[in-house]
Amino acid sequence: MSASASTAAHDHGPDENKYQLYVQIAMLLAVLTGIEIVAIFFPFAPWIIVTTLVVLSVVKFLFVIFYFMHLRWDKPFCTILFAIGLVLGGGTLWVLLLLFGAQDSFPLTSILD
Amino acid sequence: MSSHAAHAPIDHHHDHTTSTGIPNKKLLMWTFLASDCMFFGMLIATHLVYRLHPPPGAPAAQDIFSIELTSFSTFILLMSSLMMALAVNAIQKGNLKSMRWSLLTTIVFGAIFLWCQVYEFDHFVKDRNFTLTNSLFGSTFYTLTGTHGTHVAIGVLWLIMMYVRSFQPRDTAKDRTWFLRNVLHVAAVTGVVLFAMFAVLNLVHVIQAGTGLGAFFSGSIWLLVGLAVTTAASVHFAKPRGPVAFDESNAIDVESMGLYWHFVDIVWIVIFTAVYLLEYV
Repeated sequence: MSASASTAAHDHGPDENKYQLYVQIAMLLAVLTGIEIVAIFFPFAPWIIVTTLVVLSVVKFLFVIFYFMHLRWDKPFCTILFAIGLVLGGGTLWVLLLLFGAQDSFPLTSILD
Repeated sequence: MSSHAAHAPIDHHHDHTTSTGIPNKKLLMWTFLASDCMFFGMLIATHLVYRLHPPPGAPAAQDIFSIELTSFSTFILLMSSLMMALAVNAIQKGNLKSMRWSLLTTIVFGAIFLWCQVYEFDHFVKDRNFTLTNSLFGSTFYTLTGTHGTHVAIGVLWLIMMYVRSFQPRDTAKDRTWFLRNVLHVAAVTGVVLFAMFAVLNLVHVIQAGTGLGAFFSGSIWLLVGLAVTTAASVHFAKPRGPVAFDESNAIDVESMGLYWHFVDIVWIVIFTAVYLLEYV
């Protein structure tokens, strides 16, 4: 076995415990989803609930890509590559919402009514 | 399997033979997923812009949606993601049997998710008069969730093919019928998945109509028995007759497929919040 392979095997010692790690993360994601569902029924200001939902979704998103999709253990280039698509897609989404917010896109007939 | 793979542990996260140090298949998949981010970003943005254009005279969105069903399908997709991660973990350790069971569970969970979506669309169109063409809200909603559902369907098909691929014999010259038997295997698993989806859909309709379970079983019992016998026979014939050409060195194939499946899950995480939960706030 080459030195590099030996080092790699040594570096990936935590692989042995990934089964438990994946199950724990899945349980955490299920709990976060439960919190999201319950949160929409709380009598709080809409901006608080929307912020909570966005934060929880981002946390779930990050857990999946870094653990289930192995970005945590892969070369950073994979993360950068995916982030490029994510920033372009997310950025365009954000700009479109700023330009054509749902409230502004109401048909004129509904205003006249 | 190469002699290198047989004697040295495989580093599943790095490939020293490529210029980037990343396995080419993994790099290809991450590039595709980055492009798919932009695709779904546009669909989600379009829906959010037009979400206040419901069908004329339609009830509010929260009265159209069923939060219970959507929450259930979200949970199912989350669990399928866990099983996919376990399948990758199993094959990286060379545990073929565990990988096959995890893949089968992922296939079943994916099929349940698809069934939930079929049921939801059916319910919206027939009971809520919420169609693809009667409003901008409907057009963007069905385009977005339908595109996601298509991704799930492609993923389920890919999973089935990978599951069957894991039975390929090492020496195909000695077992010339393996391909035919595995085609039969794919057809059987796909048939069971499709039939199970429609059977459950019919079951729900029967329960809602109040005609009792007898009506369901009297119409489907022989089909169910026939399907079970056919599946058992095809699975029996598809069994490998010797060593298979699928081991730890194929982990990158399963991992690439897993990346696609997890991506489908993270897109649903966003859709669940932006399309469904947001309507209740």
